[in-house]
Amino acid sequence: METGLIAIGAGLAVGLGAIATGIAQARIGSAGIGAIVEKPELLGRVILLIALPETLVILGFAVAAMVIMLLPS
Amino acid sequence: MLVPMAKVEIIGHRDRLDDTLELLHRLRTMQLLDVTSTPGVRLPPLTVDEKQLRELEELRYLRARLDAILRMVPMPEPGHQSEIDRPVRSRSTDLRDLRADLEELGPTLEQLTQRLDDLRAEQQALPRYVATLRRLLPLVPELTQLGGYETAALLIESRHSGVLGDLNAEMTSAAGNLFDIITAQVDPDTIGAILVFPRQTADKVYALLGRVQVTRVRLPERFEGIPFRQALASMERRIDAVPAEVHQVQRAINDLVEPRRGWWATRSFIDARLNQLEAVRSIGTTRHVFVAVGWVPEPDLDALRSALEADVGPQVVMDQITVESDEEPPVLLRNPSPARPFELFVRLLSLPSYGTLDPTRLMFVFLPLFFGMMLGDIAYGLIVLALSLWAGRRFGARSPAMHDLARVLVYGSIWSVIWGAIYGEFLGSLGHQVFGLTPIWINREEAVQPLLLFALAVGAIHMTLGLVLGIWAAVRSKKRSELIERTGKLATLVGLFLLAGMASGQLPAGVLTPAVATVVLGLVGLMYVQGPLGLLLGPLEMISTVGNVLSYLRLAAIGLASVYLARVANELGAAGPIWVGVIVASLVHALNLALGTFSPTIQALRLHYVEFFATFYESGGRAFRPFGTPTVTPSHTPSV
Repeated sequence: METGLIAIGAGLAVGLGAIATGIAQARIGSAGIGAIVEKPELLGRVILLIALPETLVILGFAVAAMVIMLLPS
Repeated sequence: MLVPMAKVEIIGHRDRLDDTLELLHRLRTMQLLDVTSTPGVRLPPLTVDEKQLRELEELRYLRARLDAILRMVPMPEPGHQSEIDRPVRSRSTDLRDLRADLEELGPTLEQLTQRLDDLRAEQQALPRYVATLRRLLPLVPELTQLGGYETAALLIESRHSGVLGDLNAEMTSAAGNLFDIITAQVDPDTIGAILVFPRQTADKVYALLGRVQVTRVRLPERFEGIPFRQALASMERRIDAVPAEVHQVQRAINDLVEPRRGWWATRSFIDARLNQLEAVRSIGTTRHVFVAVGWVPEPDLDALRSALEADVGPQVVMDQITVESDEEPPVLLRNPSPARPFELFVRLLSLPSYGTLDPTRLMFVFLPLFFGMMLGDIAYGLIVLALSLWAGRRFGARSPAMHDLARVLVYGSIWSVIWGAIYGEFLGSLGHQVFGLTPIWINREEAVQPLLLFALAVGAIHMTLGLVLGIWAAVRSKKRSELIERTGKLATLVGLFLLAGMASGQLPAGVLTPAVATVVLGLVGLMYVQGPLGLLLGPLEMISTVGNVLSYLRLAAIGLASVYLARVANELGAAGPIWVGVIVASLVHALNLALGTFSPTIQALRLHYVEFFATFYESGGRAFRPFGTPTVTPSHTPSV
């Protein structure tokens, strides 16, 4: 039972982080493409901005990894 | 590295201005500054005299004419490309000859291309007429041979068949009973009609046809007025004859343009001369002397000085002048050739500002390393290596960006093979199953925890390196607040590493006090530098620095995703009959490879741009644009 809950917790940590990243990247991405159309030299900075929210899912992954390490092996 | 720039002043006799400009244009080593807006130089700009004005006009005219024709002229063979890149005066044709040649060739070429367009239009249109006529032909009476009568072929949509009744009534009022309409269904949607009427009523009839909803079949001019049957026959003959004519005209055009490949070089010579004449405006002058001011990369100073002496003579001298404090020299990156492709990624973000660090060489070391850590598979690495070598050779010559990208992927794939050996992966676990490949260090699939810790360690090293560089840069540029901030971040990180080491039992309990002290000191530094809001922002800065290190977990995470996908491929492959298995496994491996090449590139870039660069990078440099940088040339369309 406890093992199952830990596993669900780990899944939630990554999954919710991924959803949040997705929402943020969707907005930044569409705005970014608009900006690149006007000024192609912004490509590098737009890639940077699109990549920023990925920290959310990575932090989720870090939490999930820590939670899973709690699992009785 | 960023090339140090020298500000120079070239002073010479006005007679030598043309030669000087030509030399500067050829060497491409000096960015000219406008003397009117350069501090420290107070001279009126040189005005273009009447002779030069005429030359400018003539050159602009010739360039426009050339551009119109060059679209049809094939580019020179690749071996002669350099003639376009580096125009030389001695090889240029006499411009008067060029004008005469252009004026002679222009109208002929125009006629020929017009003819070609007409022929192509005919090639498209005739088959449509033939198809329509064939449908109408059974209706055509031999009446047309009667003099004084005209025929008109009409097409009417079946759902508008009521129009025919109206037409009949209108025709009666226009031509009495001296007309006839013969109709038949030519296809399910269309009714064909042939209208025969006296020639003297033609105007009225055509006006009438314009009003009602019918489509009159108008034949091309040359087929008008002859009976339909003959028209059809001659159209068919024409369709057979057109391709030969097209070919003939094309050959005539080719014969004209082929010997004129040299015009590409002439055009770049004209461009160069135009640039030189236009640059005159940024040159300062007195009655006898001209003064050109600009930036020259310091390592190129001697070469420029000796070239000026050798090619222009002693009437021109060059001096280095002092850079005013509010001036920012342009930025030129110059790196050893293995690292040069990575300049692409530095430029992609924004050039570093003058006098700061150029991260190109650091990217050369870390970017492929990170890529390899994430992809980490011998087979994938070899495939990417082969593909990028091929892409570099295939597209590299045409697109410098493609060339650089391919080179970066070559380095990345080599690291990927190395890490593949370290993880013992060949198409995931297939290497282990088939030929007993064993990892040199760890099997990623099983030893997740060491892998995560390793990724964090790499992050810690990378960030520490960045912060040390940042501190050095802050010391060098005497920026106190940046120095305190970066030292604070570094101290906090070191303190936290010590605490983590102690918590995991790797370090003795005695480090507790120094570790806490370091964290507190670092935190105080971070708070201090943020000003009044420091109490709130300092800890936030600390958290974000820790977050930056955690961000390197993606080095492990992306790799794990790739490992698991490879495993899925292998297991799917083993599930069914062998041939289905091979196909399915290949498809999933191909998908994994595509994801596994794209994603690590983006992630490795991001780790540099967001985490690493934040520790030391200062963007905002203006690119060095030396006088003589080639302008865009018209593109050759090889359709002719």
